[in-house]
Amino acid sequence: MSGAKDRMRHKKMRNQPSNMTYSSSQEFPNGEGSGGSAGQGYSRSQHTKGPSGYGQSQQASGWVRGRQDGPVPRDEVLPKYITASMFAKARAAEVNSMLKAVSKTTGSSHVFGALPKHMRRRAMSHNTKRLPRRLRELADRMLEKSHHAGQKEKKEQSKTKSRRARRRHGNLLLEFNRRQRKNKWLETHIWHAKRFHMLKKWGYCLGERPTYKCYRASYRAMSSGCLLQDMSYYCCLELWGPEEQLMSALSRLTSKDTGPTFAAVLCVSGQREGNTLLYKADQYPHQPMGPAQFLWRPRNAESSLRQLWIWVHPTIKQELLSELQVVCQCFEAVSPPPSETPVEAGPSDQPSAPASSDLKSEPQHPGKKRKREGDGKEDKPAKKILGDGTRSPMTPVSWRSAENDIVINDLSMEIVRYRLIGPLSHAVLTETLLPATNTEIDIESTSSFWWPQHCKNKDSMSLHKQQADVFQLLKGVNSTSELPAGCVLGLTVDDPRLTLPKKRVTAALDLQAAQDVDEEQRRDLTLRGVPAPCAQTALWDQDVRDNVTNNRVLEQEMNKMKRELLVPGSRLPVFPQSRVPILLVHQAGKQQGEERRGWGSGWDLLLPKGWGMAFWVPLVYRGVRVGGLQMSLKHSQNKCLPHFPHEFPDCPAGVRFQEEQEVELLNKFKRRPPAKRTNYIKHGCLAPFRCPWQRLTEEWEKIVKQDGEEGKLQSAEMEGVISQSGEDTPPTSAFTVLRSRKVLRQLSVWSKPSSARNSRVPRGCLPTPLLNTASAMELQAQWRHCLVWVRVCVLGKGLPTLHTMLCVPTAEDLQQLRKDPRSIGPKEPRHKDHLQHLLKRRSKRRKASPQFPASEKDEGTPAAVNKDSSSSSAPKDNQDSVVTSTHPNLSTSISKGAESAVESSSATDLSDSCKEYVRGLWPEPLPSVSSHCSRVTLGWVTQGDFSLATGNGEALGFVSLTGLLHMLLSQPADQRGSVLVRNPTSLQYRYARLHVEA
Amino acid sequence: MVRLKARYLLCEVCMSERSMLRLLEEKDIFQAVKTAVTTAHGQYGLALFNIGSAVRYVNAYTGVVMLRFRKAHYQLLWSALPFITSIWKQGQRVPCFFNCIHVGGTIRTCQKFLIRYSRQQLFRMLPHCKTEAEKQQVRKAVLSCSLNQLRQDDDDDDNDDYDDDNDDDDGK
Repeated sequence: MSGAKDRMRHKKMRNQPSNMTYSSSQEFPNGEGSGGSAGQGYSRSQHTKGPSGYGQSQQASGWVRGRQDGPVPRDEVLPKYITASMFAKARAAEVNSMLKAVSKTTGSSHVFGALPKHMRRRAMSHNTKRLPRRLRELADRMLEKSHHAGQKEKKEQSKTKSRRARRRHGNLLLEFNRRQRKNKWLETHIWHAKRFHMLKKWGYCLGERPTYKCYRASYRAMSSGCLLQDMSYYCCLELWGPEEQLMSALSRLTSKDTGPTFAAVLCVSGQREGNTLLYKADQYPHQPMGPAQFLWRPRNAESSLRQLWIWVHPTIKQELLSELQVVCQCFEAVSPPPSETPVEAGPSDQPSAPASSDLKSEPQHPGKKRKREGDGKEDKPAKKILGDGTRSPMTPVSWRSAENDIVINDLSMEIVRYRLIGPLSHAVLTETLLPATNTEIDIESTSSFWWPQHCKNKDSMSLHKQQADVFQLLKGVNSTSELPAGCVLGLTVDDPRLTLPKKRVTAALDLQAAQDVDEEQRRDLTLRGVPAPCAQTALWDQDVRDNVTNNRVLEQEMNKMKRELLVPGSRLPVFPQSRVPILLVHQAGKQQGEERRGWGSGWDLLLPKGWGMAFWVPLVYRGVRVGGLQMSLKHSQNKCLPHFPHEFPDCPAGVRFQEEQEVELLNKFKRRPPAKRTNYIKHGCLAPFRCPWQRLTEEWEKIVKQDGEEGKLQSAEMEGVISQSGEDTPPTSAFTVLRSRKVLRQLSVWSKPSSARNSRVPRGCLPTPLLNTASAMELQAQWRHCLVWVRVCVLGKGLPTLHTMLCVPTAEDLQQLRKDPRSIGPKEPRHKDHLQHLLKRRSKRRKASPQFPASEKDEGTPAAVNKDSSSSSAPKDNQDSVVTSTHPNLSTSISKGAESAVESSSATDLSDSCKEYVRGLWPEPLPSVSSHCSRVTLGWVTQGDFSLATGNGEALGFVSLTGLLHMLLSQPADQRGSVLVRNPTSLQYRYARLHVEA
Repeated sequence: MVRLKARYLLCEVCMSERSMLRLLEEKDIFQAVKTAVTTAHGQYGLALFNIGSAVRYVNAYTGVVMLRFRKAHYQLLWSALPFITSIWKQGQRVPCFFNCIHVGGTIRTCQKFLIRYSRQQLFRMLPHCKTEAEKQQVRKAVLSCSLNQLRQDDDDDDNDDYDDDNDDDDGK
């Protein structure tokens, strides 16, 4: 403020003369001025504020006067006489300064400050017409300046262009290319962005859910219609090499325990797509990476090399890539395009090849292109980015091995993958796609397109015919789930835009067609799947893919041709370049559990890049619903499959996801005012935002060990097992999720109530050992620090949400359940928020005397109050309150010593952690997570929702293996698998049944 | 306009020893005037002097001083000026007297008068010059201020000058 005032004054006084005095303080070096000869012993002090406008010319002319050294020897310095010239010069200088002062206007910087008062008018600064004409020009300039001053910060270059200009095709493309530099766009991005809530995730822009209400409708589409998803963000890694070498390399990443691996017979033939779980090399069962889908190319007669596609989630792509490089010893990066990969050793004599490489390399550096355009080269129009827009052209996409013949290619964003879910998905496909027709024409003519060349080969033609027949057979299939899981069908189809219906239609089963189809063949298809050779497709060939991508008929050209049709609305002729090799991959539905088997099966449609929208719109026109990420989550939840980053807490990607989720939830929590937040301390919820899995597993191990020592239930040999296990395994190791099929199957049987077990014996299952202490101990010893992925169905009311606690019911709870199956369940006594007192006192003390340290004496009072409630007590008398803390009717004997140890350790630094204490949340050193509440916590829910399939709450979560076995052992046989669930925001426990999916 | 009106007295400080003029400073003059008013008019005068009196301009080279008094009682204070016979400077007594040359209502009129007065002095000085060199010097001085006047007039017409100044101010 004062600065502004000063400036104002400065402005006002700049023309006023300042005092001319000899000042004692200032000292001018001799001969500094331009006057040279004249020493400037003349200095000015400015007693009035303002710069000295005083006589520059006068200084230049100089004064014949000695240099002044200081205040004391003044008498010597002062001249004894004065000359006339000096006298005259002083006068002249003064006159000059006065002249300046008089002739210049004082006052503000406005133009009209110069005006006499009687000529001033209202709003002169706004309307310059009110000024006299001689001042108008100046005032206009001032006005303009003041307008500019406001906008100086904003550099709105794009805004200067009109919307019309911005939306012009070329400019729009440039803008799109610019926006794709950071996050990759799928080919359907624009379509999605208009209809979906978009999320920037994993380096992509993905649709989360539509903006319109369609949650239930999407579920219905999945269960009785067809739901479409763009899964192109999944990354494809291609491996080339001899089969044995590939197998030996890949076997290090997988284990047979978790199910079929890369070497599964059906998969190796290329007939089926397989799913497997990848681990870091030779690390099983530790350090999992994540699930992967893989597809072998059917064996080729000419070449001994096999081709394998591994589809993984983008979060684990880099990890997998580096791991693959290690196991295959492929470190030699092959130079990126245009030389392209050595893989395409095939016929590259096509005339379009140079053009294709040009096109390929073009979209990969949008930044450069923009710059070039900015330089003025307007002749090169912007190209639409196909594939990965963020990757720099120098990034290698291919790695070769020095020792063996394996080549790794990174094909992410090279292949479009659409997923159709639902029983009608094959009907949608058969309606949308048409196997390539008129294969006989122009066999002799040479063409740059791949299909006519392909047609020359007799074998490929017969294969095409076979594939088309199989595809026709699909029409006769009633439901997609009838087909064997994972079967693959290669196909070459016409451009689906040619058969685009005029209006949106709903695909339905063609019953007429179903009857036409030969019953024998249909049965063959549903039982044996697609014959192995039919899985072959030209999509596997890089050059065919490039050819198809680059010779795509643009939408624009298509519309132009439609316009020029003689009969409007008639079907366009098939162009030679409009044949697309595709791959149809069947996706299995629900395979685990008893109810709704085969739910959520569907087809994956693999296309060469660039053709995304050409297939997307025709599919949408067949009446499918389109789902986003939310729906893929619900899909896997209903299918009882773990969804990738969410339900893999032991994978690095899962850990990262959990961290992000915690931050997000915590921020959401903190946005509320403290009084309106849920007080999780009072609810006895220790970790509402992130599940401490490691703590849980460790604590359960401790609990069981103590239990075993104290209870003296076991015989001597059991103790031997424990001691053995205690010795041979390291005490602290990272927790893992149990994924061994055999053990899971065993657990699945054990966790069922005995009556149900008799009714149904799981197919293909070995006679499992009966559940007893011995077998349980054996299992525990083998699998330490393990979590089991479980599904929980709530029996009555209740809706489990995220991070709902799964608890062990006490004996009384089970009796209550037996007496009244509809009983609502026990209630957790309200906990005391001991930190509230602490916080209040702290704030009070801070007000009174900030330097006084917190005395521990008066902490006894709040602790005495909440002694009855539970273990959350004030830190002072922690040691004795622990004894009272465990609920009296807690049947399982909790290790009190361990608990108190944990609590006392937490108590010591409780006061420190209060500094970053968020009200309603436990501060960082958590007390015992398992035995904090009246019911012992077994695990937490990671996905909980109202299940539209079963009509009540269902949740997926993890429990500690040790805890699960412990619980199952203690429960009566007919009530095995009963658990209690309690939401983080509630005190009510609900009965639920636990299923282990195997 | 409603404001407190003032009178500005343009005075020349005449010292017997011209060289002592260099010692002239604002606060010394203020003190001298104050003591003179106190001796001449006592407490009452001092009280009047304390309201709105100031030294507005001092030029140690020409001995020109501008004093500001309130219009209501400037005559009383003015009457004390002739009683100043010396200025105390750093324990030294410098004999001098004040010669009031103009009384104006605004600083601006005083400045205008000062221009006229100084110029007149210069012109008057010219014929009294003894040597040719002196004459040349004085002539040059006279010319410089008259030429300047011409230039100043030009500046006033040329408004660009104004704008440029403004730019500089923004830059600071």
